[in-house]
Amino acid sequence: MRALPLLTLVLSGWWVLPAQADEAQDWLNRLGQAEQQQSFQGTFVYERNGSFSTHGIWHLVRDGKVRERLIQLDGSAQEVVRVDGHTQCVSGALVAGLGDMPDSHTRSLDPQTLKTWYDIAVVGKSRVAGRPAVVVSLTPRDQHRYGFELHLDRETGLPLKSLLLNDKGQLLERFQFTELNTTQPPEESQVQPSAECKPVVLLTNQAQPKVQALGAAVAQLWHSDWLPPGFELVSSTARVDPATKVEVSSLMYDDGLSRFSVFLEPLNGATVTDARAQLGPTVAVSRHLTTPGGDIMVTVVGEIPIGTAERVALSMRSGNAQAKQ
Amino acid sequence: MSREALQESLSAVMDNEADELELRRVLNALDDAETRATWSRYQIARAVMHKELLDPRLDLASAVSAALAGEEVPAKSTRGPWRTLGRLAVAASVTLAVLAGVRLYNQDDIVGAQLAQQSNQPGLVAPTAKGPAVLAGYTESSDQSTGPMANGVLQQGQSGWHDQRLPGYLRQHAQQAALKGTESALPYARAASLENR
Repeated sequence: MRALPLLTLVLSGWWVLPAQADEAQDWLNRLGQAEQQQSFQGTFVYERNGSFSTHGIWHLVRDGKVRERLIQLDGSAQEVVRVDGHTQCVSGALVAGLGDMPDSHTRSLDPQTLKTWYDIAVVGKSRVAGRPAVVVSLTPRDQHRYGFELHLDRETGLPLKSLLLNDKGQLLERFQFTELNTTQPPEESQVQPSAECKPVVLLTNQAQPKVQALGAAVAQLWHSDWLPPGFELVSSTARVDPATKVEVSSLMYDDGLSRFSVFLEPLNGATVTDARAQLGPTVAVSRHLTTPGGDIMVTVVGEIPIGTAERVALSMRSGNAQAKQ
Repeated sequence: MSREALQESLSAVMDNEADELELRRVLNALDDAETRATWSRYQIARAVMHKELLDPRLDLASAVSAALAGEEVPAKSTRGPWRTLGRLAVAASVTLAVLAGVRLYNQDDIVGAQLAQQSNQPGLVAPTAKGPAVLAGYTESSDQSTGPMANGVLQQGQSGWHDQRLPGYLRQHAQQAALKGTESALPYARAASLENR
């Protein structure tokens, strides 16, 4: 008889667990849809080690077109305007010298894939920016990625707060709305770029295939002997650095949530030691690689643990992946 | 493989993120001069990234070891106040060694460029380093292991190279992530925060 309450407990646990996992996945699905369907405006803060900033955001969905403008409210007015995920203009300081990536396909949040690498669960409720929120945690299943804690708006599914946590539960960065208005969509004028926002040079139709071919060539030229499980190559580019006139190849990998880039730059005889740096959530690890074509500096930059970045940097090889097998 | 694991542990210790096992592994390996050289090179790389300064000759581990070695180990049978006193003495001398290290660290207020310049002087060669073999065991390329760099001392222009590239790399990564990302505002905020230094 004594086993009866225990049995009930076990049974209820058995019922509750999958239900909870499903609920968490539903919330992530809602998050993915919300940004495509919901108009909103608000302000948010971003905090990482050594930096705290406030930003304004206007997000307008009209006739199936998503238009978004972001501007930093303190310090320099850094601005970005995007239409359907394509960057239209950026303010001076943000100019990276890169045009819109020709092969950029936005990967939507896919809970089915994510749950292979993260343990997804609804862990509670909270209140952010005066709005009730659901807390969804994404706990990594291995040591090769960081965990997320997402506070999603109960009404719309928008992310009100996002925390990045390392394996010890230490906070690496905080993104948090302080004010959000979902009832009143922003005016057209509010998603228009200001005069300081410099248009991003969009690739002409003629240049596009060339850049694509160049990017594909990079993917052919380099591969990694080891990648953290779940990470896939999502883009590869080659661009000439305007300052140094050296062609830098880059490869970007993605596990559906976290990303890292690998930059490969010929040293041309320069003597440079290996280096590592950590800037809030972002790590940078530089390592030498000797290839038949000369010395290359491999730099891994991304929101991944430093040990993982180090291992990736060590695993980069010239030649395509087929050749090694 | 074990060297790689050791290096990973070393970096974990340096970043204050080591678990007990890693710490133990590193402590065990610290008797090895090669490991200590790796450690000091990691420290220098980090110092450069953080624009901090340190004396590459500083070898705290050996200073602490020496302090411990010079100390009389209290006999096992010793009981009572003397044993405690002995322990205190050991602790005190270790503290002293650590403090001396810290003082040295702060005292050296040479700027990065000077550090790099001075690195070519033989006087700055770390006593624990073994020369070319050290770097060969550490990096992929063995042809880099000549000169003072093998001892974990910076060469001229080295910090400049990274200073020049890393911000651009970080920016490009953040921007590309913003293009790929589903959580559109977060990578933008990361990119923006890079400009606020």
